Amino acid sequence: MRPQHWLYTIPLRLRSLFRRSNVEQELSEELQFHLEHKIEEGIARGLSPREARYAALRAMGGLEQRKEEIRDMRHIRWLTDFFDDARFALRSLRRTPGLTAFVAITLALGIGMTSATFSMVDGLIFRPYPVPHPGNVVSLVSTTHDSPYDDFSYREYLDIRDKTNSYDGVVANADMEAVGFSAEPGTMPRIKGGMMVSGNYFQVLGVEPRLGRGFREDEDQVPGRDPVVVLGPDFWRHEFASDDTVLGKTILLNGTKFTVIGVAPDTFPGMLTFGYPDFYVPLAMAPVFTTNLQKNFFEDRDDRELSVKARLKAGTTLEQARNEIAMLVKNFEREYPNSTRSRGAAVYTQFQARTIEDDNWKFGVIFLILALAVLLVACTNVAGLLLSRSRARAREIAVRLALGAGRFRLIRLLLTESLILATFGGLAGVAIGFGVVEWFHSKESIVFATELPMAIPFHMDKRVLLACVALSVLSALLCGLAPALQSTRVDLVNALKSADVDVPGRKRLWGRNMLVVAQVSMSLMLLTASFLMARGFQHDLMEGHGFTKDHLLMTRFDPRLIQYNAVQTQQFYKVLAERMRETPGVQSEALTQNIPLGIDGFGDVAFVPEGFQMPPDRANINSAMDTIDEGYFETLGIPILRGRAFLSSDTADSPRVAIVNEHFAKHYWPEGDAVGKHIRLDSSAGTPVEIVGVAQTIKNQNMADPTDFVYMPLAQHPVARMVLMLRTNGDPLQLVQPVKDVVRSLDSNLPMLQTRAFEDFYLNQAVRGPRIAIDLVGSMGLVGLLLAVAGLYGLVAYNVSRRTREIGIRIALGATSSNVLRLVLGKGLVLVGIGMVAGLAMGFALEQLMNSMLFNSGGVDILAYAVVVPTMFLVTMLAAYIPAHRATKIAPTQALRYE
Amino acid sequence: MSKPNDLVQGTLDLLLLKILALEPLHGWAISLRLKSISGDVLQVSEGSLYPALHKLEQEGWITAEWKQTENNRRAKFYSLTRVGKKQLESEAANWQRLSSAISQVVRLEEA
Repeated sequence: MRPQHWLYTIPLRLRSLFRRSNVEQELSEELQFHLEHKIEEGIARGLSPREARYAALRAMGGLEQRKEEIRDMRHIRWLTDFFDDARFALRSLRRTPGLTAFVAITLALGIGMTSATFSMVDGLIFRPYPVPHPGNVVSLVSTTHDSPYDDFSYREYLDIRDKTNSYDGVVANADMEAVGFSAEPGTMPRIKGGMMVSGNYFQVLGVEPRLGRGFREDEDQVPGRDPVVVLGPDFWRHEFASDDTVLGKTILLNGTKFTVIGVAPDTFPGMLTFGYPDFYVPLAMAPVFTTNLQKNFFEDRDDRELSVKARLKAGTTLEQARNEIAMLVKNFEREYPNSTRSRGAAVYTQFQARTIEDDNWKFGVIFLILALAVLLVACTNVAGLLLSRSRARAREIAVRLALGAGRFRLIRLLLTESLILATFGGLAGVAIGFGVVEWFHSKESIVFATELPMAIPFHMDKRVLLACVALSVLSALLCGLAPALQSTRVDLVNALKSADVDVPGRKRLWGRNMLVVAQVSMSLMLLTASFLMARGFQHDLMEGHGFTKDHLLMTRFDPRLIQYNAVQTQQFYKVLAERMRETPGVQSEALTQNIPLGIDGFGDVAFVPEGFQMPPDRANINSAMDTIDEGYFETLGIPILRGRAFLSSDTADSPRVAIVNEHFAKHYWPEGDAVGKHIRLDSSAGTPVEIVGVAQTIKNQNMADPTDFVYMPLAQHPVARMVLMLRTNGDPLQLVQPVKDVVRSLDSNLPMLQTRAFEDFYLNQAVRGPRIAIDLVGSMGLVGLLLAVAGLYGLVAYNVSRRTREIGIRIALGATSSNVLRLVLGKGLVLVGIGMVAGLAMGFALEQLMNSMLFNSGGVDILAYAVVVPTMFLVTMLAAYIPAHRATKIAPTQALRYE
Repeated sequence: MSKPNDLVQGTLDLLLLKILALEPLHGWAISLRLKSISGDVLQVSEGSLYPALHKLEQEGWITAEWKQTENNRRAKFYSLTRVGKKQLESEAANWQRLSSAISQVVRLEEA
């Protein structure tokens, strides 16, 4: 309709909506006016007043009929009908407050669980990048045989940026890094999360700074020339109190002066899933930030530290972009064979990038599946309840039908009722969802044991609220439609004749039985899932990780924060280790680049094992690696199975050595001893490194199966940022002060980061983190079980109350209590049985899914079923037995007097 | 629902709009006017008149106002809106086209 229409129509609609009685009054008056004229006309023609009146009414075809027809002409008829229905529904729901509350709570649990888990999946996979036109932002990644998601080097990025035609701009960023920040010179630096980005980053992504400007391309051209920084919105708010005069101010990052040129807008918390950088600096400032002491960031093509994103040109397909970059990387391999071996490239959409980059989303998806199962159980439960209720109302409905109400109209009324129930449920569900998401946020410090700005990306934002609305409407339909259809299909004659209209046809009972079966099977699946998940994590825990956790203190150092160069850094760690070994109370000391199960992720090393038959299509193999010192294996209690640990005689000048884990040794030298063998770095012509020891395999990266792992000595493989670990007899925290004293004597400006007992850290990573998942799934299982119990109880109780008279007669005729029990319980048992079988089948399927996605245990966990199935059976039987038992107590005299 | 069977579907709208284009009228007067100008050829049942008026009102083509009649009774007078005027023009044009097309067909000589 055209806007100028609204001028006339909107006031009309509003009037017929809100001034209904006036409108009705006027309608009567108008028709009355016509009628009177018509009557006068009739009288004038010589009819008696009475005849004239009849004639007039006939000519108009009846006043009330016309009124109805005219009401239909109002376009808001459906709306006023809806309000009538809603008012009626509210009234009838208020008459049964217990049932209403139960239904609303049931639906709330289902909707709340589902919306919370949807917010997980949304945050991990679907939520679009916070930039304009996020759909055409793609990720360009380097690929190897071992990894579908690797970074590019600076040189490679420049080539991609300059030699491709598929994009409207190609940007790069390094990982968010710990950076020492001080607002004023001379103050102790604090750790903040900084991110290096290319000069075109903000411009290509379309991010308009809320203050100042983004980087210019020329600020990212000469290494080290332009120390400029753009602040993140939160950082600006907290560190600078939202001060507009921050522009032009000088701050210190890793001891270097940077000028603030802009502040990113609130709408742009960054492109990372979990982190939100405190500030951005140009890639050209890499000398101040880069971690890798052995590589030259600007020159070395194999110093791969950059994530590359690009805006796909309109009209360019992903396929074209993929072909183009594949060609380009093939050229790299030809031109720079030393630094580009067996590499490919891929172009991923946001969805692909998020699902390939890491596996966290899989938990989200499994949770979502389970939550949907809870919602389904809730809906079947409510459907069952509404069905019982509609039986009780059969007479009312029969009367309405007999008076001429259309069936569709009645179905609409009943659906309005379930819609109102679902709205209550949805509102409470949003509250529950908020609670769950908040609970997640309260666990943030456990999930991220880091000083970097990280957050769990789950929010009850408008996308999730929209999902809640959709879920509420869907569940209203799910649980309301079947009862509505059924209760309006009554045999009028029978229904009006007797009070007990329930003459169950086969079809009706079938539907009701299906509900019980569905409930029992879903709950069994939920319980199995929660049990399996708990057992899966416990299995990993019991198996252990292969290293000691207790009596260890950890603390991290990063000498780059105070501008140590490579030589100073090496010297610092050497002296630190020596001094720590002399400190009273320290049994042993270790330095390691990363701690086992840490969240930073290990580096990797490309190598060729000596004497190993390489696959023809690849020039090297990648493995995870760690840089450690001599004390590492002793301090963490990791046995050296063959050969030796690193020694202080392994120096920068001595021949290169490495230690591999047993997994690695068996992998490449399944027959002989790995000790004494060599690997060559990068290619078969690379530096030879002798394997001097084989260490017991530990779980370095996560709880999943162990992988190949290489250890390099710190002396030969210098690294800037290291973790110091100290073993002691007593409370590890008592070592904090002695360590502080030593560090202060070496350099009073150097901060100690993440200082804590390693056991505490380990518990967070390996126990408390998984506990979050177990708690979540466990509560879903519990909710599922409770709902199933309530559903079964309700069903049997309803049956008993419906058959009170029949049972009374049976008892009067001599039926024993066991006869009655069998009568009432028998079918319930069969239904539970069928439900259990179906639930077992779904449980097995889910176990396969969980095994393939999360745990690599494989096989079937018999114990889980041995516990869950009997529990389920007992609980459901109890739920059915209570009302059945009550049936045996029915006194015949009373039952027959009933009604 | 009572339909004006004897009228081509939709023509009642056109007639009402045209009548109201001349002057604002109340329902009874409209029914009299319909009869008199069409010389009883176009039979509009009084039943279908009011739903049709209300429909036009809902569409925004006509608007209503309560006024006194010449013999001092309150009645609902309908008048054409600006949008209604445009609607009348387009419907009238449509009608012209349709009727001339039909008369062309009717006038065809049988071979």
